[in-house]
Amino acid sequence: MEWAWLIPVFGFAAFGVIALAGNGLPWRGRYLSILAIAAGFALFWFVLLDFIERGAGFHRFGVDWFETGGVKVAWGIIIDPLTVTMLGLVTFVALAVQVYSLGYMKGDKRIGWYYAAHSLFAAAMLTLVLADNLLLLYFAWELVGLCSYLLIGFWHERRSAAEAAKKAFITTRIGDVGLLIGIILLVVHTGTFDITEILARATNPAAGEEMSNALITGTALLLFLGAMGKSAQFPLHVWLPDAMEGPSPVSALIHAATMVAAGVFLVARMLPLFEASGDALAVVAAVGLITGLAGAALALTSTDLKRILAYSTMSHLGFMMLALGAGGFTAAIFHLVTHGLAKAMLFLGAGSVMHALDDETDIRKMGGLRRLMPMTALTFTIGAASLAGLPLLSAFWSKDEIILAVHDGLHPVYLVLLLVAVVLSALYMARAVRLAFYGPLNDAVRRAHESPKVMTLPMLLLASLTLVVGFLVLPLGGGYEGIGAFLLQPGEKAHPFTLNVWLTAASVILAVGAFAGGWRLYDKRADVVTSARERFASLHRALERGYYLDAGYQWVIDKVVMRAGSVVALFDRRVVNDRGVNGPGEGTVFAGRQLRRHVTGLFADYGVAMALGVLAIGIFLWVRVA
Amino acid sequence: MALAVFYVLALVTLGGAIGVVTTRNIVHAALFLLAALGGVAGFFALLYAEFLALAQVLIYGGAVVIVILFALMLTRRGELELMDEHKRWPLAAAVSFGLFAVMAAAFTIDAASYNAEVRTSVSLDALGAVLFERWAAPFEIASLVLLVALIGAIVIARSGGRDEG
Amino acid sequence: MTLLHFELLGAALFCLGLYGALARRSAVLVLMSIELMLNGVNVIVVAFAAYSVRDNVTGLVIAIFVITIAAAEVALAMAIVLRLFRSRGSVNVDEIDALRG
Repeated sequence: MEWAWLIPVFGFAAFGVIALAGNGLPWRGRYLSILAIAAGFALFWFVLLDFIERGAGFHRFGVDWFETGGVKVAWGIIIDPLTVTMLGLVTFVALAVQVYSLGYMKGDKRIGWYYAAHSLFAAAMLTLVLADNLLLLYFAWELVGLCSYLLIGFWHERRSAAEAAKKAFITTRIGDVGLLIGIILLVVHTGTFDITEILARATNPAAGEEMSNALITGTALLLFLGAMGKSAQFPLHVWLPDAMEGPSPVSALIHAATMVAAGVFLVARMLPLFEASGDALAVVAAVGLITGLAGAALALTSTDLKRILAYSTMSHLGFMMLALGAGGFTAAIFHLVTHGLAKAMLFLGAGSVMHALDDETDIRKMGGLRRLMPMTALTFTIGAASLAGLPLLSAFWSKDEIILAVHDGLHPVYLVLLLVAVVLSALYMARAVRLAFYGPLNDAVRRAHESPKVMTLPMLLLASLTLVVGFLVLPLGGGYEGIGAFLLQPGEKAHPFTLNVWLTAASVILAVGAFAGGWRLYDKRADVVTSARERFASLHRALERGYYLDAGYQWVIDKVVMRAGSVVALFDRRVVNDRGVNGPGEGTVFAGRQLRRHVTGLFADYGVAMALGVLAIGIFLWVRVA
Repeated sequence: MALAVFYVLALVTLGGAIGVVTTRNIVHAALFLLAALGGVAGFFALLYAEFLALAQVLIYGGAVVIVILFALMLTRRGELELMDEHKRWPLAAAVSFGLFAVMAAAFTIDAASYNAEVRTSVSLDALGAVLFERWAAPFEIASLVLLVALIGAIVIARSGGRDEG
Repeated sequence: MTLLHFELLGAALFCLGLYGALARRSAVLVLMSIELMLNGVNVIVVAFAAYSVRDNVTGLVIAIFVITIAAAEVALAMAIVLRLFRSRGSVNVDEIDALRG
């Protein structure tokens, strides 16, 4: 377990080697990168086994680095159920995606750099989940954001990709500022970066003097701001659909399973802080719910396959936040895992489709692809069904847990709206699957073919996991009491698997009904869809334009930011540069020129000056003596 | 009696000096200079420094003024050229007057602390003895200076014709 | 006739010479004014020697050296003035501004 820190180090080393020596390496460094992540995955199993042996609980390993101003800065890792789970998810999905990329990115000229960025990303994400102090976490957070920028804009020759990468970075930056301020406030008030210590102080009943409620709420909300940026919560979600400009494997890894999960992870890690505040938790739940609904609605009207998946991700991340807000730590993390697996597979499937159709993503131009791409269709259907909440698939179990948590922890209106969102999720998933893969074969896609094995194998692997992982929630014997017992927060008591029959039945009926209804709708009754679109035309338009948020942001930038910027620039140019910097220079030149007028070269002038000097000295001495 | 002589000599000296600095005729200036230097010789005599008075007349009157007159002759453009003042002359006058005022004030205030009336003379023997014993080194150096000045003057005045400027 | 008389006279001579050196435009006139300054100094120095209580000789010796060096200086100065006249054709000090900044 102590060696868990090696897992990210493999990735950093791979990045270093490939970035520096890339073009000279055999296969341009592709297999080196895969080797690094595979090693990480292997090491994960050792860590897991060791963890179970030593007793699932909470372990920390740290090395002090330096101390300044009474604040200690250290390198350290935490090994607890949350970390172990994340380690497994990240290494596995990263490995699958990198193998898939062998086929998808084949022939790309800059493939060395692609794999280098992948390695760096994996390493940074792993550091993030292992970090035991906020400083290290922040480093990794920023690094992950950087990798996202690099990979979204990988095909930077395309204008839209470069713009998307910029948008992603800037939007998440807004959140990152909140995160930084929150961290600084925490450090200033507690004198330490260490997460365990900060949480201990926040939850200490005697901490009323040390950390006021206002401080706890404030910092929790600031940290949440950072999480909102990274996890695409409303209204900082605008970067996620645009991020689809990046290669599909990148979308699968970063924007489905791992990086966007970082926000959820952060809130989960710092959950005691949020719980100590109460108000902050309520905000989290509310934002999560809004995001869940907004994302589902957007997914319903989108016509781009990858965008549908992006909005779906946004919606599910909202569900995870909602779960955390309801106090359902286990539910949220479990859903993170199942969603990550399923969504990654869906994105790989979308990539498979794009690979076959020369990057076509408009689902209106697809249809009946299952005849030509059976493997892709099968895995895609499984993933979609899982996320729609069809029973016995993994996401069904985790969604059920979320519903349970919301029922137990929050006001009934949350539950109702959540169920509405469940219906919408089933609806849009059905729509996507039906329009793309089933039905009559669309002429435009006659030339499609199934993807090579190197791409379909990872998808199959993920699909099988999607079928199976759900059952982890049950107590399976051999000392394993169910996922609820495993994913413990420190200090929490285990809650075993419970089943609320009514709720489960309700959710099953809603999900299945919505899925089937949606299927039929898009299959046979397309006229209903068109008339609905016409009747709710303005709503439809608002949804298409992303609730006009992009326009709103642009307005703020144009009117406020740019204006303020030009004022500052003017100040900088006129006052600082012309007066401040050029001023002394010009002043010196002026003084010099004035002095030059006296250097006439004539003896008489110099003589007069000397005589004046002598006179002055004489008077001075006389006055002094007298 | 001595006081009367003093005032007469003062008149001559200062008159000559004023003449040097104000006259437009350059040759007249030389002659005014001669008068001033002669007056100074008289002062030396009043101060019982006869040897010095003699030396003053010989050297200044006999040599320096002659040299100046030669220079005047050799550097003339037209007949009895008129020389104006430099355009800064009010400032120069002010400075000079200021300096005189300061010095006069200083001397006058100082004079209250001593009011010597007695002038002492020094015999030629004594002067010679001091000059060649205590001040022997400066004396030799002075003679070297004269030698160098002589040679230098010849060199400077001669090579002007050969090369440009 | 006290020391003060001689002091004032010497000072007057010196300052008159100073004025001439600064205000006159012919180089030869400037030199004549410098001679006046030197003589003024000599008067004061010799007066100090004569009226002194302790040391009556040093002032005379100083005056002798001043006269000597003044003579040497006149010789050299005139040589330079001749050179100047030959290269420029005039001895107007206002035209000698080669060191002008």
